[in-house]
Amino acid sequence: MTDVLIVGAGLTGLFASLLVAERGNAVTLVAQGRGGLELSHGCIDIWGRATPSRALSQLRKSHPYRLAGTAALHAALEFFEEITQQAEYPFPGSISRNLHLPTALGAIHPTALAPQSLAQGDLFDGTPFTLAGIDNLLDFYPQLAASNLRRAGIAVQSVLELPIPMDDTHHDFYTSDLAHFFDKPNWREEVARVWKPQLIGIKRLGLPAVLGLRDPQHVLEDLQERLGLTLFEIPTLPPSLPGLRLEVILRRRALNTGVHFIEGPRVVGRIDGGSDGRRVSGVVLQTVGGPRVYTADVVILATGGILNGGLVFQQDGRVQESVFDLPVNYDQGRGYWTTTSPIDSQPYSGYGLLVNDLMQPLDDKGAPIFENLYVAGGLLGGADRTMEGSRQGIDLATAYRAVEVALG
Amino acid sequence: MPVLSTQLLVIGGGSTGLGVAWDACLRGLKVVLVEQGDLGQGTSGRYHGLLHSGGRYVISDPTSARDCAVENRVLRQIAPHTIEDTGGLFLATPTDPIDFPGRWFAACQELGVSAEEITAAEALRLEPALNPRISRVFRVQDGSLDSFDLLHALTAAIKRAGGQVWLRHRVEKLILNGNTIVAAEIRALDTDELLTIGADFFVNATGPWAGQVASMADIQVPIALGKGSMVAMATRPIHTIINRCRPPSDGDIIVPVGTVAVLGTTDVEVQQPTDTTIEPWEVDFLLAQGEILVPQLAHQRPLRAWAGVRPLYRPTTVVLGETRELPRSQIILDHADRDGLQGLISVFSGKLTIFRLMAEQVMDMVCKHMSIAAVCHTAETPLTMKSRSFYKLPDRLAKLEVTTSHDLPQVVCECELVTRPAIEEALRFASTLDLDDVRRELRLGMGPCQAGFCAFRAAGIAHELAPTAPTSGGLISFLEERWRGMVPLGWGHTLRQMELTRRIYLELLQTHSLPEPTK
Repeated sequence: MTDVLIVGAGLTGLFASLLVAERGNAVTLVAQGRGGLELSHGCIDIWGRATPSRALSQLRKSHPYRLAGTAALHAALEFFEEITQQAEYPFPGSISRNLHLPTALGAIHPTALAPQSLAQGDLFDGTPFTLAGIDNLLDFYPQLAASNLRRAGIAVQSVLELPIPMDDTHHDFYTSDLAHFFDKPNWREEVARVWKPQLIGIKRLGLPAVLGLRDPQHVLEDLQERLGLTLFEIPTLPPSLPGLRLEVILRRRALNTGVHFIEGPRVVGRIDGGSDGRRVSGVVLQTVGGPRVYTADVVILATGGILNGGLVFQQDGRVQESVFDLPVNYDQGRGYWTTTSPIDSQPYSGYGLLVNDLMQPLDDKGAPIFENLYVAGGLLGGADRTMEGSRQGIDLATAYRAVEVALG
Repeated sequence: MPVLSTQLLVIGGGSTGLGVAWDACLRGLKVVLVEQGDLGQGTSGRYHGLLHSGGRYVISDPTSARDCAVENRVLRQIAPHTIEDTGGLFLATPTDPIDFPGRWFAACQELGVSAEEITAAEALRLEPALNPRISRVFRVQDGSLDSFDLLHALTAAIKRAGGQVWLRHRVEKLILNGNTIVAAEIRALDTDELLTIGADFFVNATGPWAGQVASMADIQVPIALGKGSMVAMATRPIHTIINRCRPPSDGDIIVPVGTVAVLGTTDVEVQQPTDTTIEPWEVDFLLAQGEILVPQLAHQRPLRAWAGVRPLYRPTTVVLGETRELPRSQIILDHADRDGLQGLISVFSGKLTIFRLMAEQVMDMVCKHMSIAAVCHTAETPLTMKSRSFYKLPDRLAKLEVTTSHDLPQVVCECELVTRPAIEEALRFASTLDLDDVRRELRLGMGPCQAGFCAFRAAGIAHELAPTAPTSGGLISFLEERWRGMVPLGWGHTLRQMELTRRIYLELLQTHSLPEPTK
């Protein structure tokens, strides 16, 4: 049995911990914060710009997909589908053809896999649909979404504003507030009673993503049955419900399979081992009671990129890896990191650690720094995930590859 | 081409031009003002927010110092809603010239600039975040003045008095009849239409563009452009304006404005009025200087940087030298005396604090030329708009707190407490549905997240008010405008914030894949 220590509790770290636990190994997951799932749309983007399966073989060799390999991606997706099936939160879709989902702004989001409630909004499905907002919800504007979809030539049957069955309606709601209400059967019964008369003649209805957090598939099916139509959800501003649901599912399974969570402390040091110092024998955590050492046979870094704190961009023009200060590939001097428009590709997006095809971080001569240290997810350089539409695919494939190599 | 006529045409809608137009309206003249951009888009909107006590100039420019001291008192009377009475401190640190504070204090007394010496201990009691190693401290009558509020109040006052303010109208040609200017050819930038306005008199109040406008009448105006960069910190560790007590130099001031503290300024000569690129060294310098006055700024997050271009007068006798050394006092050029051209006065340089005085001086000259006997009334006419007094964040908070839950409005921008009714009102009040106009009016998107969350919401609201508007209030250009202010500070937490905005707008909302807006 291998003792594995994973740093980071985002999609990459959680997924890697499940893989390790699945194979009967001991796994400790250390995380300072919560990861970035609640900031995401909750789908699995693999390659947004073209047919994923065809595009991946043409990438340059330093791209994380090429390093992890197509086999790791396919195996990772297989395991991901198993996890989500068992959690009764299925993700329809495939790597050979992207779904085209409407966004809250009325743009089109190409993605490989999406939870069923989102996938039912696929614009390739020709069933006419209506978009509906919910009164007092701050983060969804169906008129705007419908206008933009129509400008792109997509027929939107009609736009509605649906009330919420509540005596005191003078409240602002965020999507997370409404999700807690939708988790309750009584609430759904009441909602269906109030909404149904307004939905006559509608076969397919798009709503902001608010349909429950704890058991969303059941909420979806229950509400569809009560209303007698097909529902689909559109994710909106963070906290994004589909992202939160994925986090809930992964954490639930991790706890059930014996993953040991240590949340809050920061990793502040490393114990090097091996006769030549080329092994990591443990990490030092800054706990409330002082520094504490955790030993491990294998360490996997999944601390993420700039947003999640894995990379730190300094005023003096350096970019640092935040836990072990491993070498980062970047352009020196902060004048080069950004461009003048947020919707362009940004140079900083591609910065990160360089690894070999075993997911081991490399020094400036291209040699692995430690035998038993592996890196996965957003910390890896060599990909502009935002513009490629590749973020979650890279997370899953590289996590799979790192675990596969680490466990032999 | 449509032809209109008026008595006075004012070119430029900064504080000086609006001040001139307001003064002229109160004297009974028929006035049209044209501005090529929006309110506050030029130098007046790109400053640090300081209402000068006069203290900054007592040694280098005594006339400006005296004018500032007088106008400071006048503005507090006529436009109190635009001013936060922060008071100001001049601090000498151990690294500053040791003989300067004594000379400075004597000059203040001689020029009537109110200044009072206090002990360092007293200063630290007032402002605990100050550097404890300060040697001498003086209290002055500085204030923080919101130029957007001022420009809005001036525009409203001009309209009330029967004048006209045309935004997004650019002068393309000045038409002469012999040696007299008789008309201007103007392009309406929204519709691309050309029109001609005839007038008895013209005032060129275009700030850094003054040279270019004057050249349309074949006149040379020796202008030098001094770019000044500023950095707003995301917090407000001091509530008093902090000046460095030394000769005017880069990075000598911190101004608390609204929820932020602004570090100012640099002075770099540039060639074009539009050249507002901020170099990394400017930001580093301002942060380092700010830290000397308030050490904890080293641990605070810079929020946004911007630069304005000062229009300075470079007399032909001064050939070379730093723009910092050029005089800051107002320049009023009567082109009849100077160039033999009737009907045009150019006004530039000066300070925002003395805009009213500059306008008065210009209008006295205009009236003399036009043989009009009317006198100036701006010093005693209130500018305050009582109905729109909810600009300050504490006022907004107070208003929201007394509201019962039954009529609690939706808060669309959490950082600046901008509510849905306020946005709807601003969109109706503005001639356009541009989110950047709403920002200037309500501070929408000016807090720590720099519109990362509220831009989408405001676009949705704008669309509900005007469903046919294809651009949704210019969502992308609004995001780009916010982004530009963060780019010079793109490291650490600010860069993380920028990345969060990209995650939301590109990954969640896929903004970049929207079809191009149709005109």
